Amino acid sequence: MKLLEALGLDLRILIAQLINFAILVLVLWKFGYKPILKFLNDRKEKIEKGVEDARRASEKLEEMEQREAELVKAAKKEAAKILEEAKKQGEINRQKTVDKAKEEIGQIINQEKAKMEAEKGETLREIKREVGDLIVSSLEKILGEKMTDKKDEELIKKIVKNLK
Amino acid sequence: MELSVSLAPDILFFIGGFPVTNTFFWSLFISLFLIILILFVRSRLKLIPGGLQNIVELLLEGGYSFVKSIAGTEKKAKRLFPLVFTMFVFILVANLATYIPGQSAVTLHKEEGVVSVFRAVIADYGMVFVMTLITFLITQIVMIAANGPFGYLGKFINFKGPMQFFLGLMDLVGELAKVISLSFRLFGNIFAGEILGAVMLFLAPFFVPLPFMFLGLVTAVVQAFVFAVLTLVFITMASEIPESEVSKSEPV
Repeated sequence: MKLLEALGLDLRILIAQLINFAILVLVLWKFGYKPILKFLNDRKEKIEKGVEDARRASEKLEEMEQREAELVKAAKKEAAKILEEAKKQGEINRQKTVDKAKEEIGQIINQEKAKMEAEKGETLREIKREVGDLIVSSLEKILGEKMTDKKDEELIKKIVKNLK
Repeated sequence: MELSVSLAPDILFFIGGFPVTNTFFWSLFISLFLIILILFVRSRLKLIPGGLQNIVELLLEGGYSFVKSIAGTEKKAKRLFPLVFTMFVFILVANLATYIPGQSAVTLHKEEGVVSVFRAVIADYGMVFVMTLITFLITQIVMIAANGPFGYLGKFINFKGPMQFFLGLMDLVGELAKVISLSFRLFGNIFAGEILGAVMLFLAPFFVPLPFMFLGLVTAVVQAFVFAVLTLVFITMASEIPESEVSKSEPV
């Protein structure tokens, strides 16, 4: 008992200290540790989620890039194919057009030729007739008399034949 | 100048017959400080910590993971953490508060003589005793909960043989000795530090007390840690059922 007295132990103070400490623990726990630790935990989870999200996003981006590259490659291939085809088609078309044009031109030329031939024949015949008339009238004038039709014609024909 | 050393804290004043000692006064002061501090930190928790929040976060998170590493399971850690961490923080702040300059000069003049208003809380055996008692009682309760009331009694009193009987009695003594060793380790260290500091200050007021003060600073942190960790270890040990009994009840 002497020792307790020397140490200054007083039951009332001990009880007061106990209550004081209990309140301290309770308050610090309820209003301090618990919410703060929860906050820290939440933040940790949030950061983990953020990191995970970032990882996923970069993964997705990579995937997208790959897909994009593939797409571009395919598109390029397609375009090359189309271009090739178009070229081929163009060549064919051109050939066709050229052929057609040639054909048409040939036709036109033939037609013109025929026309010219016909015209030439016509002109020649005209000239022949005119020349015949002219010769008849000239001979009439030269001879001064009209020959019989029969003789006349024979003569003219002979002359014209020799003229040719 | 006189050097007075007393084991017991000095009574400052009475409130309706209740003696308010200087250590009790200061323990209230420290409790209030801790409560205000944590409420302050809590009220302005930011996603990106800075300054004070950093320190509190570091202590809380480090403390929690440490408690978990010793307690073993998350459940145990959650239950033990508030008590153990509060003990640590309270003892630490109480010890460090004695380094606030000028506080020892605040005195109260009474008819019995001059009484200093502040005194290291841990240099009063009362406060240490209360905390030790809490540890002791929780240890016993946990032990009873883990072993059952008869298993608990059987730990200390058994008649399996003379050797086991003797060892059981030894365990009983050891259990009681824990109270003494736990409390007086803390009290003795801090009280001795206080006395040493006072004596050094009395003998040579300048420079000479400095190394002792640094030593006291180390003691303040270490003892707070030791007390909290021992509490943690005692309670954790009490919650574990001895392996010999586990193997008996669950034959593999």
